[in-house]
Formats: sequence, structure tokens, C-alpha cells
Amino acid sequence: MLLDLDSWRSLLKAVAATWEANIDRFNEIDSAFGDGDHGVTVSKIARVVVRSAGDPALTSISSLLNAIGTGTMAVGGGSAGPLYGMVFTGLAEAVEAEPVDATTLAAMLASARRSLESLTNARPGDKTLMDALIPATESGQAAVDQGVTAILAQAAQAASAGAEATKNMVAKFGRARSYGEQTLGTPDAGALSMALLFEGLYRGLTESAAS
Amino acid sequence: MKMKKFINAPENLTTELLEGLAASHASLVELGPDNMVINRALPQADRVTIVTQGGAGHEPALSGFVGEGMVDISVVGDIFAAPGPQACVDAIKQAEKGKGVLYVVLNHAGDMLTGNLTMRQLEGDSSVRCIKVVTQEDVSNAPRSNSDDRRGLVGCIPTFKIAGAAAAEGKTLEEVAAVAQRFTENMATLAVAVRGATHPSTGSMLADMGEDEMEIGMGQHGEGGGGRQVMKTADETADIMVQALLNDLSIKDGEKIMLILNGAGATTLMELFIIYRECERYLREKNIEIVANFVGELLTVQEQAGFQMFMARMDDELQRYWEAPCNTPYLKKV
Repeated sequence: MLLDLDSWRSLLKAVAATWEANIDRFNEIDSAFGDGDHGVTVSKIARVVVRSAGDPALTSISSLLNAIGTGTMAVGGGSAGPLYGMVFTGLAEAVEAEPVDATTLAAMLASARRSLESLTNARPGDKTLMDALIPATESGQAAVDQGVTAILAQAAQAASAGAEATKNMVAKFGRARSYGEQTLGTPDAGALSMALLFEGLYRGLTESAAS
Repeated sequence: MKMKKFINAPENLTTELLEGLAASHASLVELGPDNMVINRALPQADRVTIVTQGGAGHEPALSGFVGEGMVDISVVGDIFAAPGPQACVDAIKQAEKGKGVLYVVLNHAGDMLTGNLTMRQLEGDSSVRCIKVVTQEDVSNAPRSNSDDRRGLVGCIPTFKIAGAAAAEGKTLEEVAAVAQRFTENMATLAVAVRGATHPSTGSMLADMGEDEMEIGMGQHGEGGGGRQVMKTADETADIMVQALLNDLSIKDGEKIMLILNGAGATTLMELFIIYRECERYLREKNIEIVANFVGELLTVQEQAGFQMFMARMDDELQRYWEAPCNTPYLKKV
């Protein structure tokens, strides 16, 4: 199976829908140790995603993802804007051939990870969105021989487990860092939105395959 | 408790407040694209210019200090949230008048990400010379040896003033950056909060404090940092905080300092004066002279009650820059 431009439009719209359904949850978790607006920011990014996914002027997968990346960096949402902006431009960078096959998809996930690692010093265990992204890219890579559906299924599962695991971590980055051990027991809002990005991609794929 | 604020649609907060700022100070500032607040005199500037960026919701900071002698362009994100890098790149290019641009960034996660991406995008662009200076002076959440972990609080405002005056004197970009860097390395802030604020977009509480509690070390979005303790008197609180800042800066007998008491939004000027009076007495006893001061609101956190106490080591040059003329909506010196 290959992911063409129309597939990507569906996948990305599903990401936006998955995020939009969880806005209040992001705000609520972020209120504990952040400033309570992660949902506000993710909602702005979701609108950028929907707008670009419906833009007929974007005629390639890489231009679509780049447009989302640039638009996301400009939302003015604190850390989440630049970070998710780098995720989307990182995905775009590795699209060397369209439509996207399993090898390219795995390379795109790895590229998104490198893109973020160039921007932030947060590493696994620091209770950030990296704790969802890194396992997702690694599990996706491990499933590369099984095709794009398996990659996205494995990535979604690993990202979700990674976000869940942030409950047992002490925040080392961002505003939550100030609270130290008090952050134990609450997941990281960014890790959760990252996990839902992968869930949205997978859901978009299975829904479009079913329809 | 339900949020009681005079707002319209939450998503329009930043746009509407900037429109109001620009309309009420139309002779000094104008609005540009992407939430930029621009010094009206920028087109005539023949000097190093100053650009900063940051979230809204801290009024009068940061955009209330755009004008001659301080900031030339302030790029605003959203409430408590940094703008994106493209707007900052655009602002720095617009501010470049052939003498270079000083780009002041407060140390907060989102601001630093945007700051780094902005500098990365400017690399290799020969039309712009830009030096970034980071303000990071909160003594509560990291030791001085680990200053990269220190948050940027009200210290950005006197940094704008010092850098802006050096630029107005005709110093080169390297000289302006060196003065700003020297000032920032010799400044320290400690915050205290007694009541949290609500986030104006979401209505959620930024910090929830007990009736008889205060927290020394609270950040400017209600995030914790220091220890919660039982509420103390003005004099006791002042003494604890002044001493913590003196210790951090290793200020000695006979030295000169700047002292700023910055109200967080809901603490009265009455309280700030009572605190200032005790600070002055405490410092006089230690033979430390306050040669520059400000008491009032520079950088607020909505209706948070409490204040930030800022201290900086001064010398004759820094004092001259502090006293130099400036004309901005919320700080004027003649």
C-alpha cells in the first residue's frame, strides 16, 4: 500500500479531528503544571492542518506538510507551535518520492525526530512530547517490512504507551519543570497530544481504507 | 470561582489589547503585521535597533516599552505564549537600519525555541546583523552557576532601557550587546505571590494558594518554584527577599544597585511603597546605595497578587544609560 496526496489529506484531517476531540483534556492536564493553554494551542494547530489539507493549491505531499509546518510555527502558541512546526517540516523533508511507501514513511518519522532533536535538548525520560515521539519512530522503523499500515499501527501504540509512561516521570523541561516531583502521577500534555497525532494518522488510514 | 474579566471573545484577546495599546499611544507606536508593535520613529533610526518577542497578558510588558530609547519592535505571540519564528525574522529584517539589531529573548521554553529558530533562519543572510541576548535572572529555580535554567522575569525591562540608551548613544552592535550582557549577568529577581491569577483565555487558575500562604519564587505564569510558607509582614518579606538577592549577586558593602519592585497585577502601590521603604532601610544599614529604582507595574501576571523584586549591580556607565531619555507608552525619562 502507498500513501498518495489524497491519503495524506485524510490522515491529517483525522489528526485534526482527534486533537479537536481532546482540547479540554489538554487544557486540563496543562493547568496542573503549565499555564493551562495546551489545548488552545493544539486547537490552533488543528485549524492550520485542516486549512492546508483542504487547500487545492498544495499539490504535493511535501508542499502540504511544509505548509502545515510553517503555519504551525506561526500560531503563537509558546513551545508547542515551534515544536509541532518542526515535526511537520521534518516529515516533509524526508519525502523523496511520492506516493509514500513504507520505507519513506519510516524515514519521515525518523526525520521528524531528528528535526526536533536539533531544536530541543529534551531527551527520553524528561517528561516531554519526545517521550511519545521517540518510541513511535522506533516502533515504526521496526515495522517497516510489514507496510505502512503496520508502521502507523505500531507507532500509534508506542506513542500512546510512551505518553502514559510520562505519568511516572519528573518534568525536566518547560514550565512544569518548576514543580519537580509534584508532576509525578500526571502525564505530560505535550506527550499526550503527540500520541494523539499518531493515533489520528492511524485512524485516518483505517477509516479511509474502510470507506 | 467564575472568571470576572472585561473581555470579548477569548481568541481575540491579543489582537484587541494591541489595538487598544496602539490607539491610546498612537504618536509613539503603530501596529505591524503578525502582532508586531513598532516604534513610530524606527524609519528614521540611524543606530543599532532593539527587537524583542514574547507572550501577551503581562501588560504593560513587553509592548508598552516600544518607543525611542527602548524597544523598536516587539513581536507578540498570544496570551503567555511566544510568537512564531517567521514573524521575528521579519521584525529583525524590518528593524535593520544598517547598524545591526539586538534581539532580546526572555528565558522561557517557547521563547527560546522561537529565538533559536529565528537565529537559525537569519544565518547566512548577509543583509542582517543580529546578536541575541537572553535575560535569565530568576534566582528561585536554579543556582547562578546554572543560569540557563533561570527564568526571565521583569529584568528584561531595564535591559531594554540600558541597551536602548547605549544604542541611542551611537554604540556599535557589539558594544550594545556587551553592555546588555554585562547588565544581565549582574541582575537577579525574586518573585513572591500571595494569590494566583486566572488564564484569560481559558479561565483556569494559574496557581491555587491557601488563604494564609505566600510563595516566594513563583514564576510569572503562576508556576511554582520556591517554598510555600505562612504569610509574613511586609518588613519580614522584604528582608528575606533583599538578602536572597544580595547573596545571589554577592553585593558587598559600598556597592551601588538598581532596585525595582514590580507589582504582579493585584498588589497595591501602597504595599509596594511599604516594602520599598524597608528595602531601603535594610540596604542603608549594609551601606549599599540604591542609585536607580522603579516602584510600580512593569510586567504583570493578570490579577496575581504579589510582586517581583529586581536587583542589579550598577556602575557609572549603567546608571547613565538608565537615566538617559526615553519615550515609550509606559516608561518616559526626559
